[in-house]
Amino acid sequence: MANPALLAAAGEVGGDFFKERSSGTLPCQANETHLFCFDWAKENIDRYGTPTMQHLELVLFSVAIGFVIAFALALIAHRTRWLQPPLLAATGILYTIPSIAFFFLLLPVTGFGRDTAIIVLSAYTLQIIYRNTMLGFDNVPDSVKDAARGMGLTNRQILWKVELPLATPEIIAGLRVATASTIAITTLVVLISAGGLGTEMYGSNFNFPTAILIAVAIIALMVLAFDLLLLGTQRLLTPWRKARPR
Amino acid sequence: MNEQGASSVRYEEATKHYRGASEPAVDHLSLEVPAGEICVLVGPSGCGKTTAMRMVNRTVEISEGDVLVGERSVRDLEPAQLRREIGYVIQQIGLFPHRTISQNIGAVPQLLGWEKDRVRARSAELLELIGLDPELGDRYPAQLSGGQQQRVGVARALAADPLVMLMDEPFGAIDPINRERLQNEFLRLQAEIQKTVLFVTHDIDEAIKMGDRIAVMREGGRVEQYATPAELLMAPENEFVEDFVGADRALKRLALMRVSDIDLWEAPLAHVGQATAEVRAKLEAPDVEVPFPLLVDSERRPLGWLSERDLNAEVVPGRPDSPLGPVLELDDVMRDALADLLQHETQYAPVVDHRRRIVGVLSVEIISEFLASPEARNDEHPAVERPHG
Repeated sequence: MANPALLAAAGEVGGDFFKERSSGTLPCQANETHLFCFDWAKENIDRYGTPTMQHLELVLFSVAIGFVIAFALALIAHRTRWLQPPLLAATGILYTIPSIAFFFLLLPVTGFGRDTAIIVLSAYTLQIIYRNTMLGFDNVPDSVKDAARGMGLTNRQILWKVELPLATPEIIAGLRVATASTIAITTLVVLISAGGLGTEMYGSNFNFPTAILIAVAIIALMVLAFDLLLLGTQRLLTPWRKARPR
Repeated sequence: MNEQGASSVRYEEATKHYRGASEPAVDHLSLEVPAGEICVLVGPSGCGKTTAMRMVNRTVEISEGDVLVGERSVRDLEPAQLRREIGYVIQQIGLFPHRTISQNIGAVPQLLGWEKDRVRARSAELLELIGLDPELGDRYPAQLSGGQQQRVGVARALAADPLVMLMDEPFGAIDPINRERLQNEFLRLQAEIQKTVLFVTHDIDEAIKMGDRIAVMREGGRVEQYATPAELLMAPENEFVEDFVGADRALKRLALMRVSDIDLWEAPLAHVGQATAEVRAKLEAPDVEVPFPLLVDSERRPLGWLSERDLNAEVVPGRPDSPLGPVLELDDVMRDALADLLQHETQYAPVVDHRRRIVGVLSVEIISEFLASPEARNDEHPAVERPHG
């Protein structure tokens, strides 16, 4: 069943950007008690191509922008210790704004479409990436930094040659969580006409589980693929971690 | 090994004020460490010994006064540049977990811009010098034991052939057995490389063992006495030093002696097949202080002690009744020899030369007489030499 309130709200602000499902003639399509209609899936799988690409694009842009900003903030906070609490609070506040409210708050400023979506989605990644990067820095043993300094590494060398490599596992852990949650939240940007797989989940598809399940499956695969990719990257970047004591 | 040698280190009224502290951590410290010697800074915690050591590589900035390495003030160089010329070893080791052992050892040469091949060759050379399997070069620190890691820590500090080595409780986190081994290894290494070493410890026994000179410090980095280990033990300058060195300083002097430095007792010897009457006659001679005969082979190598039951036979049996117990060597450090005797709950032990032939018997009594003698307490004992090298 559709959620009338949400539909009404979406209809008011967004107009008619939910993709309409052409009224079908397949037997299982007509019968709404069917959980999954394979015949429909076979005929309509193509329609997921463009939304999937849009979804991917939004996620990649948002996480990349979020990473650059959060990483820069972490580097600044690492050098300027008193900035740490205010930065943590600021990214935390962004994270607590409900996503739908966040979209609508930005609408008067940036309007419908991708820009607003990317701003909101990248804002949500800041907290996780920033906090994990700081955690990674904090986990570098003092003895290693002391030895590095005593051996004549400059502060910059200590940062790039010692602290960042050693913080890599935490930084990538942050990216993994941020990417997975961004992939999920991106289904909502359909509300501001920014496309993505949400287009196949809302609107008239509300009462057609097959269409939603396919979108969900694509999203789950996407989360899994990114997670494995990032995990593999971490393994490649941190070979010393799998070297166990003999 | 083509070492560039060592520089002296001279503190000139060096002072460190920490912000917010009412008293300086190090107050007008003046001290000269000759090139090529190990100087141990020892004292209770909070005495400023680590702060004083860290002034040399400016990991602690000097507030007043100066520290000279060779003839050059440490302030004349950029800190990072200065530190690359000074080896640095800390208790927590601080190896780079993400770098292999070879890369760790080659870290400073790499910073100095050495060519890759030269860095690699130097790493291999140092691995050999510290007695680690070259294969370990490709492992990561987490794959090594604590003792091996600290050996690598020392090798890393030596890699760029520093003028001075700073060692802050380097063996403090190692278990006692391995600590002793690492100390001995380092002393052997030092005999070869002859670096100027500033060595910080709170352990007076380690100070006595490692130091050519020892600076006993108290709060504010004030040096209460600066002397060789033997001088410190024999003539503590004041009550603080005496307390710190400990009431057992006569005992500690045993750490500075070898078995060969003391007069041993002569052992009544017996050979297999010898008439027991003959052996009994030997035991009754007036100057024999060992009550049991020692069975030796034809090369005069000890085999065991003969008991009263053995002596009741006609001739000396081939298998003595009592086991041999500990056998000491002339080169053994006296303190270890005493520990051996006590551990085996025995009064006597045969002492052998390097070909394992008997030269005499050491007893608990000899040692306790030595400890009670004025020689052990006051006068310079001519035989006192550092038992390593």
